[in-house]
Amino acid sequence: MYCVETNRLSHSFSAHASVLNNINLQVPTGSIYGFLGPNGAGKTTTLRLLLGLLKKQQGDIRVFDKPMQQHRIEILRKTGSMIESPSLYSHLTATENLRLLQKIYQCPKERISQSLHTVGLADTGNKKAGQFSLGMKQRLSIAVALLHQPALLILDEPTNGLDPNGIIEIRDLLKKLNEEQGISIIISSHLLSEIEKLVTHVGIISRGNMVFQGTLKDLINKQQQASSLIIETSDTEGSKAIIRSMQLNGTVENDRIMLPIPSKEVIAILNRQLVSSGIDVYEMSPVKKDLETIFMELINH
Amino acid sequence: MNIAFINCFAAEWMKKRRSFASWLVLIGGFFIPFITLIIFLVYPKQLLSMHVDISRNFWGLLFQHSWQSMAFMLLPMGIVLAVSLITQIEFKNNGWKQLHAAPISFKNIYFSKLAVLLVMLLQLFVLFNIGIYLSAVIPSFFNRNIPFPNYAINFGFFLKENGKYFIICLPMVALQYIISLQFKNFLIPVGTGLALVIGGLIALSWKYIYMIPSAYTALYFIRSKGNNVPVHNLLEWSLGYFLLFILLGYWLYVSKKEKG
Repeated sequence: MYCVETNRLSHSFSAHASVLNNINLQVPTGSIYGFLGPNGAGKTTTLRLLLGLLKKQQGDIRVFDKPMQQHRIEILRKTGSMIESPSLYSHLTATENLRLLQKIYQCPKERISQSLHTVGLADTGNKKAGQFSLGMKQRLSIAVALLHQPALLILDEPTNGLDPNGIIEIRDLLKKLNEEQGISIIISSHLLSEIEKLVTHVGIISRGNMVFQGTLKDLINKQQQASSLIIETSDTEGSKAIIRSMQLNGTVENDRIMLPIPSKEVIAILNRQLVSSGIDVYEMSPVKKDLETIFMELINH
Repeated sequence: MNIAFINCFAAEWMKKRRSFASWLVLIGGFFIPFITLIIFLVYPKQLLSMHVDISRNFWGLLFQHSWQSMAFMLLPMGIVLAVSLITQIEFKNNGWKQLHAAPISFKNIYFSKLAVLLVMLLQLFVLFNIGIYLSAVIPSFFNRNIPFPNYAINFGFFLKENGKYFIICLPMVALQYIISLQFKNFLIPVGTGLALVIGGLIALSWKYIYMIPSAYTALYFIRSKGNNVPVHNLLEWSLGYFLLFILLGYWLYVSKKEKG
């Protein structure tokens, strides 16, 4: 069951420049979905379309299994969002900012202090939002998004401007909201490292195209598949023949054989075969690509 | 009126708290009466001349006297500034996207903001009238030669005249609202609005002046002084324009491709 689903979502700001091409986003209910991509890949455009901030041109958007266009208000009542830079009234205090939204959302007044407490802004008193640091503004924006206890949170790069401590705090907070209240979260970022400890699912977008979508485990599997084994022996040709006889594909580069990393059991058998054939094994080392490299390869492909 | 609209209006009303637009209403309401007060204190003869013949309707004379500068310049310019400042609150604070991602209909957003503007205009009229009263009362405390204006106030006259000025301001509020909603750059709506005000004043004697709503307050003032103006049904024109502008503005607002 998906809480957000798009089907062939496309968008362009001018006739010749397409920003999104057939995006099929699938965000499982109860997941933390990391929406990744470099700057200008189309993340914010996708999120703005999900919230109805941009007029849909092509494709379908379903949120909570209902079409967005026909059920806009009903969907937004259960959705909290923060898109790009904070949307705060700088001449009002944190409490006043929340109070006016509390009127719109018609949620209990207690939610104002609860939300401020959740993001650590309970003691800002009469300080105007305009006098807040960027980090405080980000926190207040998250408080705004949480005010009405939404079932879905859409956060566009929420840790921008936060110090490392702040990033960890926000990450813990989102994890807690997801685990304790079952809130589905879509969080966009251009840094995999920033959200890999948080997300359960990942969608990677590059130049308006979805290049990967799946669980974090799928991405880790992809990482393992992309790793290779380097073998250096006293007889490269002989070694290559043995590798081929084991139905493995190896290529020779600078007298070293490189092959897709097999299972550890296969590596042990291969080593035994080489030694028993009288070939000296100088090196047998796995070269693992980290998630960041996989991510970079996906977006640069 | 539904509860969602009332809540939306309450939220919009809160947004203008401590904003320059709300100060502008306060300052704008008392500005002309304050200047009048200073004139009466420095040149008491001007006020005394109104006291001489009560049959000439003291309050009516004072009302006309105060409206002169208000109708020609201050009110139209105040409307341009206040309306632009109110919509600018959203642009300046990146507020549109938060507002449009909230569970409110576009209709409630558009009309609650417009309602705030109209209530602010009403506030300005109330303050202006209090100011008119005080500008005649205060000098009598400082100058023994000036009598206290003990005359009965014709509330019916005040209500009727204020009501007419209010209606005449409506198309200008709606037109400025349309322009201000379209542009993020504050200078564009303010510049356009002021150009319309000045253009209207220059063209006051033009036979098609009724085409320019920004000149209506000045036209009404001229007519109330007994002079002839090229258009006689100003109130009808005002209401017609207002209806046209709010509907056009709503259509433009709803049709916007990007809402934050």
